[in-house]
Parts: sequence; structure tokens; C-alpha cells
Amino acid sequence: MIKLIDVEKEYKGSIRALKGVSIDIEKGEFVFIVGPSGSGKSTLLKLLTKEEEPTAGEVYVAGKNLANLPRWRVPYLRRNVGCVFQDFKLLPNKTVYENVAFGLEVIGRPRSVVHRQVPQILELVGLGEKLDRFPDELSGGEQQRVSVARAFVNRPLILVADEPTGNLDPATSVGIMRLLDRINRTGTTIVMATHDHAIVDSMRRRVVEMENGNLVRDQSRGIYGVGT
Amino acid sequence: MRIGYFLSETAQNLRRNFLMTIAAISTVAISLLLLGGVQILGMVVKNVTLNWEAKVEISVYLRDDIGPEERTSLTQQINRYDEVQEVTYVTKEEAFAEFRERYRHQPEFYENLPEDALPASLRIKLTDAKFTEEVADRVQGAPGVDEIRFGGDIIKRLLQVNSLLRTITFGMSLILMVAAAALIANAIRLAIYARRDEIGIMKLVGATNWFIRIPFMLEGVFAALAGALISGAVVLGGNALLFSRIGDAIPFMEPVLTFSAGEIAGVLLLLAGVAAIVGLVGSTMALRRFLEV
Repeated sequence: MIKLIDVEKEYKGSIRALKGVSIDIEKGEFVFIVGPSGSGKSTLLKLLTKEEEPTAGEVYVAGKNLANLPRWRVPYLRRNVGCVFQDFKLLPNKTVYENVAFGLEVIGRPRSVVHRQVPQILELVGLGEKLDRFPDELSGGEQQRVSVARAFVNRPLILVADEPTGNLDPATSVGIMRLLDRINRTGTTIVMATHDHAIVDSMRRRVVEMENGNLVRDQSRGIYGVGT
Repeated sequence: MRIGYFLSETAQNLRRNFLMTIAAISTVAISLLLLGGVQILGMVVKNVTLNWEAKVEISVYLRDDIGPEERTSLTQQINRYDEVQEVTYVTKEEAFAEFRERYRHQPEFYENLPEDALPASLRIKLTDAKFTEEVADRVQGAPGVDEIRFGGDIIKRLLQVNSLLRTITFGMSLILMVAAAALIANAIRLAIYARRDEIGIMKLVGATNWFIRIPFMLEGVFAALAGALISGAVVLGGNALLFSRIGDAIPFMEPVLTFSAGEIAGVLLLLAGVAAIVGLVGSTMALRRFLEV
């Protein structure tokens, strides 16, 4: 589903964010990318939506070499890769329903599809009762659920989450992780960058550890850190 | 549904940047008004020239001592020129009758003149007014010719003034249109800035670039077309109110100030077309610099 071959990424100013990283992720896997800030986790995730392009090496997503993907095809790639962020990225002037619907409308889904899928997905994330609330009327955990709903409403093959629990307290984080786990069980591949030891240790999924732009550990059913 | 989405987005953008939009619309209107003015001016001058050209003829005044045979051969010679459409012989009596008719309100001009005071002449009608001088030169000096008169200089000067006026006004409207495009670009830039979060999310979830761009491009085109509407209304109103009144009041101006519906429609179409281009250029400028989709 995702394949990185000797990927290097050098930003302007010769900061080397990735120094030859190779990973192979199968369909339906749940992978944690762990490591300290600046280790290259976010850069790695951005390669998957072609927000960034590698300086060297190859990136394959859903069987396609992204280097050969023309610019105008990038939006179609992103429809297959849902994204969730630490800061939720919700539109404050739209309701819960409208925020999720917006994600479908702007990719040209017909109204009937929007009407059917949005309540369904909001029910799935546990917000079936709060369709008409605005984001600032919700708790952080609820906002992140909206964000997950928006990322998943289009049923992407892959869900990419960059520190989705970074702004949430542990109890709320557990709720979000349960949600991601449920989504993963539908066959969606999940790649999640995180700092959260407790979550990684309790989930016991594949762990890829980054340090200074290098992949230093790739372990199935791993924990956050061997020595920590 | 998509069209509804685009239109409501566009309307929202236009409302949010009301002042910028007004500035853009009025600049477009003014520059197009200038452009429309130039077109109308051009049409007036064209009418004037046509009017004159129809009347331009070369009058070849004949000496009194010319015999009928000489006259006939001169007429035939002139008739052979390709540029000549028609040659008419005007006798002394006809010339006098014409003179009397023209100055019928001032009888003192002709009261004391003998009937044969005016010379007989050949009037040459040309296929095109531009041959006037050439033909006049050729006829000049032929036996029996006394004097040659034609109105060519006036036309030439009129055309010169016209082209000068057109160049100046055209330059001015060009500058204003660039300004209009820049103002439209600025209005759109503000709209993009106001919606940067939404645009970010649109990119995130995989909205196509065109889907993101279209509302902003429509905004530019709508602002420009609104300007065109205003200038078009002024052109139409000016034509209906001003020109037709002048035409009624000053009869000899009437043929000059009357335009066919086709001509007017042409001007309006030109204004709309230019406006659409200005709007597209303005929005493209804004999108290229401020919306890297």
C-alpha cells in the first residue's frame, strides 16, 4: 500500500530531514511512527500526500510512484489518503455537519451522497447528536472526532494522522485511539506519528522509530522505546 | 449543485470585499467608457468621412471660350480614367440656378449677377475619394480648363485628427484597464486571504485546483462585467438621449450621429469582451501569486 525506497529529503538550507529511509507498509496495517521532534516523522507523512517531494529515492502510494504523478492528479491521490492533524483544522464558522460535508462537497460529491454519508460517519465517531454544534462548542476530543470523520467520510484507502492526540488529555486520547482502531478494522491502512508512549505501548502495533532522519527501528507489535 | 456552489462562493467573496469590488468595478467602467467613447468617436468620424466622400467631387471649371467639341473630348478623356465614376456637365445656367437655390435666403448675393456670371464646369465623381488629388493633377492643364477645385484637404486633416485622438484615448484606456486588472487582482487576493483556511482544507481533502480556482475567477469576471454593464448603459443612454437630440436639433449632424443597431451592439460586445479579458487577467494574476494550488 505504501512503499518508500531509500528516500532522502533535504530542505532548502541543507537541512537533511530524511537520510535514506525505506519502509514497506501493507494494506490494512496500523503503523506508529515514533521519535523525537525533528526526527523526520512529519516530513515522512507529507511525502505520502505529495505535500513534499523526496530529494532522492522513490515513494509509492497505492501502487503509484508519486514522482510520476502529474500535479493535476495530486488531488485524486489526496482523496485516497485522509489526513488528521494535532490542531484539527476545522472551519470555525461551519457546524459539525457542515465541516464534514464540506470535505465531500469540494471533491464534487453529489448532494444525495453527502446527505447519506455525513450523518452515518458522524454516528460512527460518536457525534450523531451534535451535528449542529460549532467547533468551539465541542471539547478537544470531540473536535478531533469531527476531524477524523472528515478524513474518513470519503472512505480513503489510507488514513494519515500527525500527532492526533498531541492536544488531548490521556483519557480523551484513548477514545480517539479506539476510533482509529475501529477504522483500521474496516481495512483502512493507518499511519500515525506520535510522541505518546502510553498509546503506543498499549496498542502493540508495528512501530517505526525515527531518529535524526534515519529509520532506527522497525518492529511489529512494538512498544514506544526499548530503552525508555 | 456545483454551479450553485460556485455562484454562492463568488457572491460571498464579492460581498466580503465590498469596497475593493466597488473600486474594481468603477475602474473597469471608466476605462471601458473611454474605450467605448473611442469607438463611438471612430464611428462618428467614419460617418463624417462617408458623408464627405459621397459629396467629394472634383469641379473642373471651364473657360468661357471652350467649344462644344473640345468639351466633349475632355469629358470623354476624363471618363476613360478608371478612378472616375461619373462626369456631369453643368452649364452656366445650371450653375447659376444652383447658386440661387443655395443662397435663397440671401437674395442680395445673386440679385445683381447676370445669369452667365458663373462658369460652366464638369463635375467628376470618383470611385474613391483618395484618388482626388491624382485625378485633379491629370486634368489640370488640359485645354479649356480654367480652374480645379476639390475638398480633399479637409478629409485628410479630419482623418489625422481622428487617428491622433484614437491613439491618445486608446492609450489612456489601456492604462486604466491595467489598473482595473490590478484592482481586481487585489480584490481577489483579499478574498483568497479571507478564505485561506478553507482553501487549505480543500487542498487537504483533494479538491481539484480548478474547483478551488473557479469561484475566484468568476469573481474577477463578474466584477469586470459589472463595470462593462455600467459603461454599456452609459453608451446606450448617451446614444439615445444625447446624440439623437443633437441630431434632431442640428439636422446636418443627424446622419453623422446616427448608428445602426448593429454598430451599437458591436460596441457593447467589444466592451463585454474586453471586460471578460480584464477580469480573467486580473484573477489569473491573483491566483498565480497568492494561490499556489
